[in-house]
Amino acid sequence: MSQTTDLSWHQEIEENGSQPPLSLQNVHVSYRTRKGSVQAVRGVSLDLQAGESLALIGESGSGKTTLGLGIVRLLVETAEVSPGRIIYRRDGRELDVLSLAEGPLREFRWRDCAMVFQSALNAFNPVLKVWDQVWDTAKAHRWNNREEVRERFLDLLRFVQLDPDRVINAYAHELSGGMRQRTLLAISLLLDPQILILDEPTTALDILTQRTIIDLLRRLKEDLHFTMLFISHDLAIAAELADRVATMYAGQVVELGPVEDIFYRPRHPYSLGLIRAVPTVTGGFEELSSIPGSPPDLINLPTGCKFHPRCPFASERCSSEEPELERVGDNHYAACWHTDAVQEDIERSGLRGMRSTQRERAPGQ
Amino acid sequence: MTPILELRNVTKYFGSGRERVTAVDSISLDIEPGEIVCLVGESGCGKSTTGRMVVGLLPPSEGQILYQGQDIASMERADYQQYRRAVQIIHQDPYASLNPTQTVRQMITTPLLRHQTQATGQNGAGSGRRGRRRDAGRRAAELLEIVDLTPVSDFLDKYPHQLSGGQRQRVSVARALTVEPKFIVADEAVSMVDVSIRVSLLNMLYRLKDEFDVTFLFITHDLALAKYFAWEGRITVMYLGRIVEEGPTPRLITDSRHPYTQALLGAVPEADPELAKKKVHIELRSAEIPSLLNLPAGCTFHPRCPYFVPGECDLGVPGLERIPDGGSVACPVRMEEPSQIV
Repeated sequence: MSQTTDLSWHQEIEENGSQPPLSLQNVHVSYRTRKGSVQAVRGVSLDLQAGESLALIGESGSGKTTLGLGIVRLLVETAEVSPGRIIYRRDGRELDVLSLAEGPLREFRWRDCAMVFQSALNAFNPVLKVWDQVWDTAKAHRWNNREEVRERFLDLLRFVQLDPDRVINAYAHELSGGMRQRTLLAISLLLDPQILILDEPTTALDILTQRTIIDLLRRLKEDLHFTMLFISHDLAIAAELADRVATMYAGQVVELGPVEDIFYRPRHPYSLGLIRAVPTVTGGFEELSSIPGSPPDLINLPTGCKFHPRCPFASERCSSEEPELERVGDNHYAACWHTDAVQEDIERSGLRGMRSTQRERAPGQ
Repeated sequence: MTPILELRNVTKYFGSGRERVTAVDSISLDIEPGEIVCLVGESGCGKSTTGRMVVGLLPPSEGQILYQGQDIASMERADYQQYRRAVQIIHQDPYASLNPTQTVRQMITTPLLRHQTQATGQNGAGSGRRGRRRDAGRRAAELLEIVDLTPVSDFLDKYPHQLSGGQRQRVSVARALTVEPKFIVADEAVSMVDVSIRVSLLNMLYRLKDEFDVTFLFITHDLALAKYFAWEGRITVMYLGRIVEEGPTPRLITDSRHPYTQALLGAVPEADPELAKKKVHIELRSAEIPSLLNLPAGCTFHPRCPYFVPGECDLGVPGLERIPDGGSVACPVRMEEPSQIV
């Protein structure tokens, strides 16, 4: 099962100092609706460094998928990306993704930046065999050597631990969920993209299948040094695969930092709240708590800090002044007026609350 | 004590002839009053089918389901009605399980009014129709308070589309509570809800156990949730229609014995970077789950099991055997080996 496949054709991008392959600068995305403008992403600035994997975590409605789709410009027509800039860099050239014309945009997608979608079944054309879709993709990118494409794709299928004969002539519905997801991953790698965006890569898969996908992605990360952007509501994906984590809330990055900092030394109350809400399997019983309230209405956002109506640390200042990302440690940033209080709280009551064998009879929230 | 619910060699087939699928294969389970039992397993393991049989939505093909010692298949009409009221289910999808054309008030008062009529019979009309409506309205408000939909007046006249997933799921619970159930089957009841509100839903359900002596059959694919919800209860692990291991939650989580349970526990992604690195993953011999149409002989896990013993595992179906630390395991090969996941 664990045969290794030679993927020597993967050209690693040299980490030539300071130039990240992808930079988001103050990106805003809004959707026009009858009720008003839904502000899905509000001023996100992020650099994706070469070879790193960055996880965007947050609940539904936090803007993480919108941001991912925005990067490859696949948003619906009612969405507007403005203001903001998305800069892509490869081999010394620089592209302004938002102003790309149709032709260059098609080149950019897949060859430079590939996206793996959440629902693997919907990503396939149901009436085409897997190989036909692969061949179509290659042709669309003017790669017309059928034998070469086939050779590459077979390599990729072996890399994702699939039996090429079983998959290549199958229709999507003939594959199981895990096989479909792995096939999709193989197709996304076909043109050797520099950046891979994965939207909920393991959601809706069974546990053992999730594990094979996670191990596969880890090989992409550790052996081949792919640059990856994970989008997930599942903190476990971030813990397993990310080098850096960005917590999103109401369309903004509210905390950004190395994975250990976010999980063990979070400084934003929302990150802390998420960590305290998620149980682990191994180890003793942990008391969990949830975040009160529900995510805000993106049409009528609260004033000040968007998290303040749900925040246990909120003060008067939070309802009037909106905090910006500020440095709280090495490469660690948080947008909160009370980062010190968050730190004190963790020091006082531990990260995940009391560990005990007896369940506390806590009143429900 | 008589178990509140008992499954005796329950089997469920779907289809017939060559197309016949055995979704649940001769499982037995006793649930005591006030207990929390979690049924975990991957999709297709038969956990939801089991839940649906327990609430009477599907008849078993073979075997018996006993409610308070009585076989539900041969109950008198009145007893059967009482059983159907006492055993309620909360479905996975709060977007599909609530009537989109009814307000929360309607959804909750309708069963209240119907139940009240049945309880008091025709003579109960003494308080008049209006009086009964008023009582039902009052009770509806109480129920919403129990499920933490407060202030109640904000929710009574809402339609499902005006509520979030978590709020809808609370309405489902309130609706189930209208008939004062003794036993609730929660089928993936929190898996479609955002992580930040899952815990409060679970804590609310847990409170029902204490305040109303509700017994729970909690069905989930998520071992971490099972561990949290059923720490003082039991976990039963199913694989391809059979129970492979069961036991008190702390034992099952810290010292599982069946290779499948260990594979699951080792595979679950952990929301903790250190733990994620430290955990031992069991390498399976095959990543693909066998088709229910063509199950392997003997132990159905043998084609994937790293501890496969040819000539033993692929012949007889291993039965569940008790182990000293609590619970039972259907794996004679590994039942005495301690777990090494962490």
